[in-house]
Amino acid sequence: MGRGWAGWLMLLAVLLAACTGSEPGTAESPTATRAPSPDATATATDTATTAAPTGEETPSPTQTAAGGGTLVVAISSDPGGLNPAITTSGGTHTASELLYNGLVDLGPDLEPIPELAESWDVEEEGALYRFHLRDDVTWHDGEPFTSADVKYSFEEVLLQLHSRTQASMGPSLESIETPDEQTVEFRFSQPYAPLLQQLNVTEAPIIPRHIYEGTDPLENPANNEPVGTGPFRFVSYTPDAEIVLERNPDYFEEGLPHLDEVIMRVIPDEGSQVLAFEAGEVGWLWGVPGPDQERLAADPTVEFLQTPVNPGGANCIMTVSFNLERPIMADLRVRQAIAHALNRDQFLERVLFGQGQVAAAPISSGIPWAHAEGLDMPANDPAEAERLLDEAGWQREGDGTRTAAGVEGVDDGTPLAFTFVHFPTFSAYGELLRAQLREVGMDVTLVPLEPPVFAEQVFTARDFDTNIISYCNATDPEIGVRRMYHSSNIGEVPFSNAAAYRNDEVDRLFDEAQRTIDLEQRGALYRQIQEIAVAELPYFWIVETVGTRAYRSSCSDFQPSGHFAKTASCEQ
Amino acid sequence: MTGRYVGRRLLQVLPTVAGIVLVGFLLIHLAPGGPIIALAGDSGDDEYYAFMTAKFGLDRPLPEQLATYAGNVLRGDLGVSYIQGRPAIDVIAERLPATLLLAGTALVGSSVAGVALGAWAAARAHSIRDLAVTSAALVLYAAPVFWLGQLALLTLALRTGLFPVQGMTTAGGPETGLAWALDVARHLALPALVLASQEVAAVARLTRAGVLEELAADHVRTALAKGLSDRRVLVRHALRRALLPVVTVIGSRPGHLLAGTIVVEVVFGWPGLSRLLLTSVQTRDTPILLGIFLLVAATVVLANLVTDLVYGWLDPRIRYR
Amino acid sequence: MAGSTPASAIADATDVAPVGRVGALGRAPRRRLLRRILQTPAGAAGVSLTLLVIVVGLLADLLAPTDPLVPAGPPLAPPSPAHLMGTDALGRDLLSGVVYGARTSLVVVFATGALVLLIGVTVGTVSGYRGGRVDDALMRVTEFFQVLPRFFLAIMAIALFGPGLDLLVLVLGLTSWATLARVVRAEVLSLSQREFVEAARASGASDTRIVVLEILPNALPAAVVYLGLLLAQVLLLEASLGFLGLGDPNLVSWGYLAGQAQRFLRVAWWLSFFPGVAIAFAVLGLNLLGDALTDVLGGRR
Repeated sequence: MGRGWAGWLMLLAVLLAACTGSEPGTAESPTATRAPSPDATATATDTATTAAPTGEETPSPTQTAAGGGTLVVAISSDPGGLNPAITTSGGTHTASELLYNGLVDLGPDLEPIPELAESWDVEEEGALYRFHLRDDVTWHDGEPFTSADVKYSFEEVLLQLHSRTQASMGPSLESIETPDEQTVEFRFSQPYAPLLQQLNVTEAPIIPRHIYEGTDPLENPANNEPVGTGPFRFVSYTPDAEIVLERNPDYFEEGLPHLDEVIMRVIPDEGSQVLAFEAGEVGWLWGVPGPDQERLAADPTVEFLQTPVNPGGANCIMTVSFNLERPIMADLRVRQAIAHALNRDQFLERVLFGQGQVAAAPISSGIPWAHAEGLDMPANDPAEAERLLDEAGWQREGDGTRTAAGVEGVDDGTPLAFTFVHFPTFSAYGELLRAQLREVGMDVTLVPLEPPVFAEQVFTARDFDTNIISYCNATDPEIGVRRMYHSSNIGEVPFSNAAAYRNDEVDRLFDEAQRTIDLEQRGALYRQIQEIAVAELPYFWIVETVGTRAYRSSCSDFQPSGHFAKTASCEQ
Repeated sequence: MTGRYVGRRLLQVLPTVAGIVLVGFLLIHLAPGGPIIALAGDSGDDEYYAFMTAKFGLDRPLPEQLATYAGNVLRGDLGVSYIQGRPAIDVIAERLPATLLLAGTALVGSSVAGVALGAWAAARAHSIRDLAVTSAALVLYAAPVFWLGQLALLTLALRTGLFPVQGMTTAGGPETGLAWALDVARHLALPALVLASQEVAAVARLTRAGVLEELAADHVRTALAKGLSDRRVLVRHALRRALLPVVTVIGSRPGHLLAGTIVVEVVFGWPGLSRLLLTSVQTRDTPILLGIFLLVAATVVLANLVTDLVYGWLDPRIRYR
Repeated sequence: MAGSTPASAIADATDVAPVGRVGALGRAPRRRLLRRILQTPAGAAGVSLTLLVIVVGLLADLLAPTDPLVPAGPPLAPPSPAHLMGTDALGRDLLSGVVYGARTSLVVVFATGALVLLIGVTVGTVSGYRGGRVDDALMRVTEFFQVLPRFFLAIMAIALFGPGLDLLVLVLGLTSWATLARVVRAEVLSLSQREFVEAARASGASDTRIVVLEILPNALPAAVVYLGLLLAQVLLLEASLGFLGLGDPNLVSWGYLAGQAQRFLRVAWWLSFFPGVAIAFAVLGLNLLGDALTDVLGGRR
């Protein structure tokens, strides 16, 4: 650089003070797993029907700040569009959930809370749900919100494009009626227990009919200039750089939101996000990388919020799938050997830096009534793994890769080598798995693929041996768990039954659980399912992940959901 | 400089451009899955496939396809990115200015500094300062640019807080006017410095060699004998002639410079083409990839052309060949 | 010369002047050459650095303390007696990673070098010896390949065909031979007009014989010198691609290690530092060697 630079730089450095305000940033998914976790749903444990909701609003924030302010949030990737109804991608949801609402929100104990619907009736033991909508809600462009928007959103969009909605309520939903502008009725062919758990902005955001009707929701330009009912409204979207939202002064929840502006900056690299946070350029992080947590925790102006809920989905378990249609993986002993060879504690320690917990059951501990305890999960036992592989006909010479000798469907001499497909952000899992399986003589080839290509290769072409997916259980097993095991979900829908698992008994149990209203009975049914799953190992469940958010103490009152900033405020 | 000379040079560029277009065409057709998958992705719908097939004439015989493709390219129509749902050229054009700013600043800065340093070192050849410059150049030339960037980030941005850590602007900062320009300049400083340092090394080395050679030439020694001061000799005689190879070197840098820019952008989170490039790789968004490739190739060709013209202007002997 | 543009004319005028005739492949000139190289500080440094990398790469299995892909210690541990270069996020020993990275770099460099040498020498020799229309045509092709942006072409290829060492070597090789071809051509052109070639022709030797026995041995040194400098660039290219995450994920490479370091820059400076140093050493060694060879073999006057 020429000589003049140095002087100019010094001048500039002097001229320019630190940046304005507290600028939080968000990354989307939990630590070390920046991937747009394609499924995540709000949490919900309580599916017991109630005649009427508690009628409480979200508790008013305890005021520490004067209110207002600008929040700068770091996000890990460009959302590619701001319509959360057409996808379950975490990236899109993180960026857009503040712009929309669902019918029913979920409280801290996963109890239903009114949002667009101010009350509801459950009739016919759960085969009919009637929602009474608020009459004071307007879209950001001034049009009034009516039941027609709800009907349109479900019929034309959610049931076609939102994979969890499709998989769960799709089969048994008979019709959606709108007797008047403020009433919506969901009628099912049989009692459908979990409905109230999947009506929040993550699972079923309502989009404006007057903008989308008659168009292709995937291509409508409103996806880049969204109109919603949410606490914030759209200002600008610069692809790959920044999304600016401003306060919605006509928001239907009184006194909310407090923040004037939310700016989301795309900062793909986690390390850069932390650096930006520390420099004060960003004020909210969606995830703090493990190694940085200690340092940030020592800073008295930094606050953390740890939760298994993400805008992409909740109660996520990093799950290894086995392609049961491939001869190597079809052998239960090989799958058991892989399970015994894996040291899941090491994953928790090295990949997640201790944030989260080893999965004790196929259903997340975030759904306590369904999470089975005391299951016979394969423990880390390399010796047992080697024994099983020997028994299965995979011979080993010394420390090398095993080769087949009398394995069904496999030529003798074929090495025990298989592929492991994963999102690039999950590469650490792949590398650790590869290392651990090497010890028992398995040769794993890593295949990193970005989400669209991953979905295509795994679910459409079914070209994989094993993979890892962040399967988010959501708040009810019907929403996020059923699709992994029910044989009707084998097919092209991304992030459904990757293993191609088929078990009639499991199918029957799921169907029955969907119809059963009593929580204890449902829990017993899910327990049976989990026992079978652990015995048959179509998947192996590694770790339950949590997100660790970080923000400055000059801000307060965040929520662990997609509406994270609805009640928040920041001092200037 | 005669118009004929310019015209001849322009004509010679055409086959190169044709060749580059051909390379792009070949890659599309050699890609696994075939040209439709390459251009329109695996998960497009029938309508989109039909649209792309028509646009690129993929159901036509091969020579016709090539003509259609070339026509499209030269019109600036690179197809539609199926990830973003917009014409590829628009997507690229959005990201381009930031990259050009970074690369351009580094090019200009490194050229000026490189020439200055090289001449300075050559003026006192084999002295301490010469040794310092040559050694520094050698090391800078060898160090990978991402490493320099990471080191700079660690030492200059993190520890000292002198420079911002990432991005092109401060979030929520000034949006227009001088304040915005200054904000950008402040963010630009470190990435440009890192990028330029590599280029400076190359340019300085060559300038030094060129100047040394000129200084040893007869007519320069005559001038020295006549009693002209060192400096005037250096500048007027040696440097002008030494500029010839230097111009060539600078002209050959754009390809390398752009590659370095991509890497530096990643290290500093500079919102230019790099992010677009990397996501397009992983999602196999070929229209975007092709667009960037063609753009860079065209830039290199253009740089060569400009270099030749400048060279011709500088050296009268060349014009009449 | 058939250089078509001033720029290419300059490119033709390489730094290296033809070496004196090496007719009988005597040993004496070789030994003197080596000694002269080692006598300059640059040369000595260049030889030692390059040799260091080669040795480390070849003896990777012996030198690496652990398997670079398997966790061997606490994660993100700073350099210590147990782990001289520290460990990465998964607890893998970085020293082992750097050692095996040397091997990967060796493979890339040698394979690419072989390809480049093969194509470049062939094209350059044919072009320089034949002259005329053949020369013109080949030079057009060469110029075209010189213009192709290597980095971006490699990225496109990786996007379309997937990451992999063989693809990388192929792409880098196919895009890097052009300048070498020009160097060889310049040498061959100048050599073709020398007396000993005239003499050989006069004595009835066939073209092939002349080329192989008389011209090539004299042209190769210049080619090899340039090859060294070229391979340094290839190394940097491969490292950059690895840094961007476009390398082969099933191999350990320096660039890949540095790319992993980006996330942990704040807390683990060693993850970026050591792979970068390794790359810098290797490239520096090759550059110094190239420079020393240039000076010793005749260089600029």
